[in-house]
Amino acid sequence: MKLQLTSEQAAFRDEVRRFVKERLPAGIRNRLRLGHPPRKQDTVRWQRILNERGWAVPHWPKEYGGAQLGQIERLILIDEIHRGPAPVPQVFNTTMLGPVLLKFGTEAQKREWLPKLANLDLWFCQGFSEPGSGSDLASLRTSARREGDRYLVNGQKIWTTTAHLADYAFCLVRTEQAARKQDGISFLMVDLRQKGITIRPIISIDGVHHLNEVFFDDVEVPLDHLVGEEGRGWDCAKFLLGNERTGIANVGLCRERLDYATELAGRITQAGVPLIDDPKLCAELAWLDAEIRGLEITNCRMLLTPEEQAANPAFASVLKLKGVELQQDLANLLMRIAGPQGIERRPLDGETDDASDDPGAWQALPAPRYFYSRAASIYGGTSEVQKDILAKTTLG
Amino acid sequence: MNFQLSDEQTQLRDSVRRVLADHCGFEQHRAIAAGTEGWSAPVWRQLVELGVTALTIPEANGGFGRGAVDLLPVLEQFGRVLLMEPFLASSVLGATAVRLSGDAAAQDHWLARLAAGDALLAFAHDEVGARHAPRWVETRATGQGATWHLTGSKINVLHGGLADRIVVSARVSGAADASDGLALFLVDPAAQGVTVRAHRLVDDTLAAELTLLNAAAQPLGDPTNGAGALAAIQGTVNAGIAAACAEAVGAMQAAYDLAMAYLNTRKQFGRVIGANQALRHRAAEMLVSLETARSAAIAAAFAVDDPGSADAGADLLRAKMLIGRHGRLVAQAAIQLHGGIGMTEEYAVGHYLRRLTVLDQLFGDADAQAARLGRLLSAA
Repeated sequence: MKLQLTSEQAAFRDEVRRFVKERLPAGIRNRLRLGHPPRKQDTVRWQRILNERGWAVPHWPKEYGGAQLGQIERLILIDEIHRGPAPVPQVFNTTMLGPVLLKFGTEAQKREWLPKLANLDLWFCQGFSEPGSGSDLASLRTSARREGDRYLVNGQKIWTTTAHLADYAFCLVRTEQAARKQDGISFLMVDLRQKGITIRPIISIDGVHHLNEVFFDDVEVPLDHLVGEEGRGWDCAKFLLGNERTGIANVGLCRERLDYATELAGRITQAGVPLIDDPKLCAELAWLDAEIRGLEITNCRMLLTPEEQAANPAFASVLKLKGVELQQDLANLLMRIAGPQGIERRPLDGETDDASDDPGAWQALPAPRYFYSRAASIYGGTSEVQKDILAKTTLG
Repeated sequence: MNFQLSDEQTQLRDSVRRVLADHCGFEQHRAIAAGTEGWSAPVWRQLVELGVTALTIPEANGGFGRGAVDLLPVLEQFGRVLLMEPFLASSVLGATAVRLSGDAAAQDHWLARLAAGDALLAFAHDEVGARHAPRWVETRATGQGATWHLTGSKINVLHGGLADRIVVSARVSGAADASDGLALFLVDPAAQGVTVRAHRLVDDTLAAELTLLNAAAQPLGDPTNGAGALAAIQGTVNAGIAAACAEAVGAMQAAYDLAMAYLNTRKQFGRVIGANQALRHRAAEMLVSLETARSAAIAAAFAVDDPGSADAGADLLRAKMLIGRHGRLVAQAAIQLHGGIGMTEEYAVGHYLRRLTVLDQLFGDADAQAARLGRLLSAA
């Protein structure tokens, strides 16, 4: 056993840290530090910088533009990006669709699509959830039928994050009614910039437009936009949902938010005394620090050790449950630290590049970020579903 | 970074597990706990023969010179069976204090004996007035040269009634919480002015209250080197933290295993109770806690073996916090999942709550460590 990084790994960490420090635009760093979610232009700009080194898609093979990094280097990379704080590479492109194409796509599809995914020349979103299909994903009803050289897609998707910003969606659609609901589902890449697509915003409780409903009315999809075999889309979906674990725990993000909470608590005073001097708050910060460290080691243990994975096949659910709990605790704590200064509704300053010009700009963020943090235990498999998965491996 | 056990670590763990399976099953544990002696010399002898008592002793003194990381899998086995023998007291605390004291004569005399299982030491540092303050010592030492006398009292001295000598922290000068003026001594329990009131802890572990009234004591290291003594005390306590964390993981794992087996056996309303989602979710939460605790114990062990590393100081505090919190969560849930049977003395699961409660209180409880870590973070 060894807890320290090897000297090569430590050198890699320093290299990434230096890269982020030198190349991350200050405006993006400042906005993220305050708690802004990255805007589309921030993510595109930064991902293209990362892509110069293959670090936008570090896990992809070199021949498709990746850096073919090992697991530990990938952990170091994402940790340093989070700590920047910088936007992480767009997940729908890089950790969802990309790996699915690498595994199930034809050679022509890989050559055509992967470079655009890596460089964010195309922005994908995920069309999985439907009004009647949340945690029970396989009950989906959006359909696609073949007509000559194309599919015609009809139906509705919901909770589609960034659909209003996206060029394409990868969708699960039903191409056949089968006895088993997982059969007869296909995986399609659908151009959203065409006739028959209607996108309606869903404003979430933070007052922000992240989510959408997407309606499909005889939407045309070329046959070569099918990934994998027709009717076997569930294989792609299962692979996609189970494949990517490096970013699941969000340790670096938690660490960066704790840093910010500590900084704010040192700055904000109550009756003339900095909040950080309150032993109760101090202990709370300490508990989060301890839990984050625990998660960091659990994350490394589980991602790096085949024995651990064999002993606990559902380890990803451990990482998601714990990571989500800590992110939500941190968002809640930041709101409480902001206190009365955090309850005035303020514009979220969507377009200004350097949000730090206004000394009160920080006050706009803790409340909406706290409200939106509640989504973390809902998307990507609710915490209750994660517990079901864990219990199934231990109890049958 | 690498979390795999070496072949040697695996072999030792498996040998220890086999011996404990034969001699330290739950009924045997209850018999040992109910006996007047409160420990089993034959079990201890078996562990000595496996070389377990030599692990913490430097090679120069006839031991294997292993660190806290090597102890992890062994201590986890001890936690699983609620071991009653003085490994933590003597092989970890006693041996570490002598080793870190820098007293070559004492090292020559005691360490080889500890390795061979021919002697037992105990470590007496905690006092009532200190509670969880790490260096609060009211016990006073007076004397010079080789002649010293101690007055004061120490609580919860693990296996204090069995020890051939007790390592005692005392104050040569300064107020109770001064960082300077501490020293370590070896006290013969049979010496005049020494009273050892042996008792049990709430988990049946042997312990003692030590009362010293102008009792003769032999310096362990230089009594005028306060900084050295403080470092030795802190190093000993840190070794205790890592060991307590590793043992706690074993206790948590055993409580978790019992609960999972019970969920799949016990039937109510015509089906196993493990079919109920409320109980299944509790099981999943226990597993998350258990994994967190395991990570904490690993961090604490590395912190002890590599005290100069950037995270070492904080990692020990974090580990003790996480073990306290998650140990309590797992043990309480394990009892709850069992229902009434979990409340009985004759069933094992409640004994793990008792052991984990004791481990939380040793070497600074979770709340005390959180306060210390909080001060560390706010000063940064």
